[in-house]
Amino acid sequence: MRWRHLAGLILALTSIAAATGEAGISVRDAWVRETPPGVAMMAGYMVLQNNTSRPQVLVAASSPGFETVMIHRTIVKDGLARMVHAPQTELTPHASLTFAPGGYHLMLMNPKRTLRAGDRVDITLEFRGGLVLPVAYEVRK
Amino acid sequence: MKTISLKFGVKMTTVVLAAVLGGVWLAATYRESGSRAILLPDRVMTLFPDPKPLTDFAFTDHENRVFDLSRLKGKWSFLFFGYTHCPDICPTTLALLARARENIAKSTVGAKDVQFVFISVDPNRDTAGKLGQYVSYFDTAFLGVTGDNAQLGNLAGQLGAAYEVKITPGMENYPVYHSAAVFLVDPRARYHAVFAPPLDAEGISRRFKVLRDLEGPKAI
Repeated sequence: MRWRHLAGLILALTSIAAATGEAGISVRDAWVRETPPGVAMMAGYMVLQNNTSRPQVLVAASSPGFETVMIHRTIVKDGLARMVHAPQTELTPHASLTFAPGGYHLMLMNPKRTLRAGDRVDITLEFRGGLVLPVAYEVRK
Repeated sequence: MKTISLKFGVKMTTVVLAAVLGGVWLAATYRESGSRAILLPDRVMTLFPDPKPLTDFAFTDHENRVFDLSRLKGKWSFLFFGYTHCPDICPTTLALLARARENIAKSTVGAKDVQFVFISVDPNRDTAGKLGQYVSYFDTAFLGVTGDNAQLGNLAGQLGAAYEVKITPGMENYPVYHSAAVFLVDPRARYHAVFAPPLDAEGISRRFKVLRDLEGPKAI
């Protein structure tokens, strides 16, 4: 597992370097909320950091661990919570964007196996221009 | 920050004035000394100056028992509308309410006179069994209830809560919109206060303890 992540990371860093010629985009505090038994809808969170001097746009996410992954945002308007698809999420240069409960999140549908706190799950983030970034998410309660 | 001190007798009048003047509120700290309370303006909890008595409704809880108006009497009830297929805000809110309940349980008075009720607006998918499994994951003391659209609309309307379920044929994950607030009903089954997002566990439990102390036995 560990080596696969490391290999993924190296690959990611290499592709970022190749795509941008800079340190690129980094991710920290990546986690997925553990769900009650029988629930097939999960959410993933993280802090995305754009280390480049140009805007970067998150356009997709995918994972072998889930049937579908979508970039969503919870919006509370007039007291009503709704989820909207956020397929073009822009990261401003030299700034971070936080995916957190009640806001931006990765909506993770139909996990292929039951995920429990402490597990890790891989999700690949795709940016405009072909940049891909595999990230290991920790399942937390 | 302006501090308003008031005596118990004029409390509700002051709350009315404050609500009218300032938007809304909450009692952030409470001193028993000399029966005086300190209310600070607050955006977390809106207290209603004249709590509205709720009228009857008919839901079923996760153990298939009737959950109607009588089940709200004699206890403080925290109500939250949602659905179990909700990936973000529902589990976030329930986890936070579980922490709030834990804080309240640690207080001298405890949490025996408090219940937390998750109201599913998606009875199409949320059966009693699923609701039970769902809410007890967060806290075994939580209740899960649901009802038909007319009954959901009935209680939601009384609380000023909104929801919308867009059942689409052939679409497994149809959109569900729901109120993000947490509603507080007092032991006389009156709509007493509302907590607006963004919510936090400590904010809720701290304010609730003050409110319960202020209201004392008269709320029951």
